[in-house]
Amino acid sequence: METEMLYALRDPLGVPSHPLMFLVLGVLTWAMHIVAVHVLLGSSALAIYGSLSSQSHWRRLAAAMVNTAKVAISVAIVFGVAPLLFVQVIYDPFWYTSNVLSAWWVIGFIIILIIGAVALFAFYVMNKSMAEVEKTRCPGSMILAIALFLVVGFIMHALAVQMLHPEKWMEWYAPGGIIDPSGRSIHEFNLWRFGFFIALSAPMIGLWLYAYRRYLMARENENAEYLDFLKRLAASLGSIGGVISLVFFIAWMLTLPENIASFATSIWPVLTILALAAAVAFPMLIARKLDTGLWGYAPFAVGIIAGLVVAIMREAVRWQTLFGVHGYNPLDYKVHMDWYSTLLFIITLVVMGGAVLSYLVTVAWKAGQTKGMYTPSPAVNRLGNFAIATVAIWILQYFGFGLWVAYM
Amino acid sequence: MDMLGLYPTWYEPGIGSGWVIGIIATLHVLFSHTAVGAAILFAFLAYIGYRDDRPELIDFIKKYGLFLLVFSYILGSITGPGIWYSTTVGSPNGISALIHNFVWKWATEWVFFVIEVVAVYMLVYLVGKVSQQTHLKIAVIFGLTSYATMLAIVGILSFMMWPGHEKWFTEGGYLYGFYGPNTFAQLAIRTAFMFTMTAVVGGIVAAGLKDKEFKRWLLRRLAVIGIISTIIGMAMYPWYLSTLPEVANVLMANRLPDYFTPAVLFVLAAIMAYFIVTLMSPRVVTASVAGIATMAILVLGLWPGETVRETVRKPWIAGQYLYSNQVIGRDVPGMDVKSEIPLLEEKGFTRAHVFWPENQREINPHNAIHVGQSLTLTACANCHSLSETGMRPLVNYFGGISDIERIKTYLVGAIATGNTMYMPKVPLKDDEAEAMALYIASLNDDEVVARYVNEKTRQAAASEENTRLSAQ
Repeated sequence: METEMLYALRDPLGVPSHPLMFLVLGVLTWAMHIVAVHVLLGSSALAIYGSLSSQSHWRRLAAAMVNTAKVAISVAIVFGVAPLLFVQVIYDPFWYTSNVLSAWWVIGFIIILIIGAVALFAFYVMNKSMAEVEKTRCPGSMILAIALFLVVGFIMHALAVQMLHPEKWMEWYAPGGIIDPSGRSIHEFNLWRFGFFIALSAPMIGLWLYAYRRYLMARENENAEYLDFLKRLAASLGSIGGVISLVFFIAWMLTLPENIASFATSIWPVLTILALAAAVAFPMLIARKLDTGLWGYAPFAVGIIAGLVVAIMREAVRWQTLFGVHGYNPLDYKVHMDWYSTLLFIITLVVMGGAVLSYLVTVAWKAGQTKGMYTPSPAVNRLGNFAIATVAIWILQYFGFGLWVAYM
Repeated sequence: MDMLGLYPTWYEPGIGSGWVIGIIATLHVLFSHTAVGAAILFAFLAYIGYRDDRPELIDFIKKYGLFLLVFSYILGSITGPGIWYSTTVGSPNGISALIHNFVWKWATEWVFFVIEVVAVYMLVYLVGKVSQQTHLKIAVIFGLTSYATMLAIVGILSFMMWPGHEKWFTEGGYLYGFYGPNTFAQLAIRTAFMFTMTAVVGGIVAAGLKDKEFKRWLLRRLAVIGIISTIIGMAMYPWYLSTLPEVANVLMANRLPDYFTPAVLFVLAAIMAYFIVTLMSPRVVTASVAGIATMAILVLGLWPGETVRETVRKPWIAGQYLYSNQVIGRDVPGMDVKSEIPLLEEKGFTRAHVFWPENQREINPHNAIHVGQSLTLTACANCHSLSETGMRPLVNYFGGISDIERIKTYLVGAIATGNTMYMPKVPLKDDEAEAMALYIASLNDDEVVARYVNEKTRQAAASEENTRLSAQ
């Protein structure tokens, strides 16, 4: 498809701020999303493995991981909304085309994800006391949930890959010159790429286990054997999972389409491998400090940074394909600068979001660390009051501006 | 190169893409509105519960919150982006118009959404683990941010029908697109009915309570909330109608079936009756009764509302400038948007559409049926099913005729000129109109294509013969 045709598909409304903002936000939020997905997949896998074991440590871990998965799926969905929004803003010609050409799979994504989520919750509800009892009820629901999560992951993978092939779109839409509007087919995928993003769940959940272990260490009389078990398991998941991820990544790079094959020898794969290696090796590098202070949380923080590097590399693949090969530059999207909505978002995110989430996370963390009831300090209470005030002010400005515009 | 920025068309022959979008959207309205109403209710109950030392109220918040974790924060969270997905495949330019106008509003809503999800987990799981004052603060944050998500979205829903302010067309900008009298009328009516949904869905949870006295007390309060909110919602309806342009009222009068208004009144009366029975005799409310009431609201209550919204904005799909068939039908100087109608009049779909098979750019007797199908898919299939089922099947509008000329005359005279109310203007070149007429005729007559090809071949041969004879 010619470059002019791609540009013709752009929305003539343009965008309300510089396109770079949407590009950066898209990458950042996708990184958050994929880390949550890794935690979801990793915790789900550990939950089913542990729940089928009779060893007490594994059963305790399985119970914790079901809880983790239950929250992680909410977080993954919430974080997934943002990159889904931003991809439509500057990559609309590609995203929309890819979706329409596989429309039934897009609709299937919603249904399959709902079934998977319900299956996960069903497993959670039926096994609330898994750590205390030896029998696991309905493990099939958890296995089903994992299988369906992989299916929805594959659908998203295919949509992301299809958008990179404008040269094949017409062949997919009108094979033999006759339009096929059924949207029943998945047209393009790369199992190495898909495998890479899935395999990253292993090292990421390993890094998560270090944080979980650190969280438990703050409790009095925590079982030292269990903590040791977690440390060994985290190290194994990190190293073995890291190697498997690396294999998939190299295979993906070797199977890149011919027109972007040079990407494999660019700086991006090197940075990605270095970031992942650093994340996996980090707990060993800080081995002496790991059990002191807040260092126990650091491996997962480094994992998030590695996830961000992966997200940037993924964006670089897209950039090289769409700009390098097809001449589409997302940064030259027509701008209709809208200061009100731009500033409102930034202030909402930074001031209101910062205040409210700081308060909620502080309370959640402190409550988890406290035996009995947690009563916040005056400073935390003041933060809570400020957080509520910011939301109230936001609502007031909504009606203030709105009524003025609508009726004045 | 002037090209028409249309995407491929997804056509679902069974129920139609419009129904797919409608089903997902209606489900989401139930999940999301219930959540917002419940969040505000929780803040109120938490206040009363801690003020009057009534732990059973806090326990109810926990139980209802647990239910909402799946009902609203899993099913609702998935069907929310699910609306994006379904509209992406069913109406890509339509969702694009909303996204590009309101991306920051949606991003702002996302911030509230993140907070909402964190808060609901904390509200449920930190009962008894944090001080009462702290738990109340979490409940207030949850209530306010939940309502903020509705505030953020309602102007976008309003823009789907009409930009908030006429100035949007000339000056553009988010504020003129988002805010208008309809925004606030719609907000008021949605706010009222979200409490109705909260009261009905709350019955499912309340029905499972062990403490019979508290159960009675709670169901009666829920019934009062339901009655008051339903009355307020009904009272808001005239205000809502008054914010719609005159043309919307004409469309409602002409396009909605006769049974529509009585049916809506019956549904509202049934909802009121349910609450009155609950108020008088809470014992009748079991989880299954409340579940059936929820389903009834979903199918009978929400679906008509969505149908009205779909009906009154036709032939537009967004902002009164984008037709339901994805073509831009009018200029929006404030946003530098130009109507695509002149381009279509000059070049036609076959020459201007980005996604058009190259072998169909030029029309001849042998590819005319395929071109006709492509044109009908592109210009009509968003609103008219090409099969016998689904949304407004096209065959029903041509009374079984297979006369290509008659159909073509109608297409050229009524559709291509935009002289049909409720329908977009669909400029067609003469050969395009003939190809489309052939395809529509073929829906009624399997043999019309063969006859058409034979006739055209015979005419071409005769013409060739005449030319040869003239040359001699």
